[in-house]
Amino acid sequence: MENEKTYWSENLRLIFICLTIWFVVSYGFGLLLVEPLNAIRLGGYKLGFWFAQQGSIYTFVGLVFWYSAKMNQLDKKYNVEE
Amino acid sequence: MNKHTKLAILVAPILAVVGYIAADYYSEYQAKQDKIFQLVSDRHCDVLAHKCVLKSGKFQVSIYDEAGITTVNATFPLDNATLFLVDNHNQGKSYPLGMKDSPYYWQSKTPLRLLLEHNDKTQKMRLIASIKGGKYLAEFYTNQLK
Repeated sequence: MENEKTYWSENLRLIFICLTIWFVVSYGFGLLLVEPLNAIRLGGYKLGFWFAQQGSIYTFVGLVFWYSAKMNQLDKKYNVEE
Repeated sequence: MNKHTKLAILVAPILAVVGYIAADYYSEYQAKQDKIFQLVSDRHCDVLAHKCVLKSGKFQVSIYDEAGITTVNATFPLDNATLFLVDNHNQGKSYPLGMKDSPYYWQSKTPLRLLLEHNDKTQKMRLIASIKGGKYLAEFYTNQLK
């Protein structure tokens, strides 16, 4: 029972980290901080614009694999892997 | 592909769509806020000779006068526009412009030609052009080219 609780709390922690990164990248970098980021150029594109158009999507895809890998580690740690 | 990968792949697009909707609401809110921009003349301004263009980014306004009718032609549709002819005491007399055919063209009868003849061929003018979400202001001189 205790194991289940800690497993779930660690899972929630990962989800919270993912949601924070999701918010910071999509809403923070793509909208709120778009002007200061636009002062920086990345491959000819303004960084704020790049985050709004592509960067956030790349980050989301990265988050999918990161979350999956971390959860697999968690499964092994608690011996509940498939 | 295990259950966590499947779950993450399913949830990620939903979050992306939620982010897109939130961004759209935010952008709409930002666009509704009134902003003030300054229009500047990039070179010599001569309203009588159709050579007076004021700019602010991609927004441009051309001002010209034909037979006492002063016309403002903007690159974006305007909600309204007012022209001011400023006297020697820096007091402006307003001339609210009326729409001509489309919201890109605004005009009014003004004594600009007469004033230019009496004021050493130069006249201080101001323009306020309202557009959805902002106002464009300009103060400039028109000189009659010799």
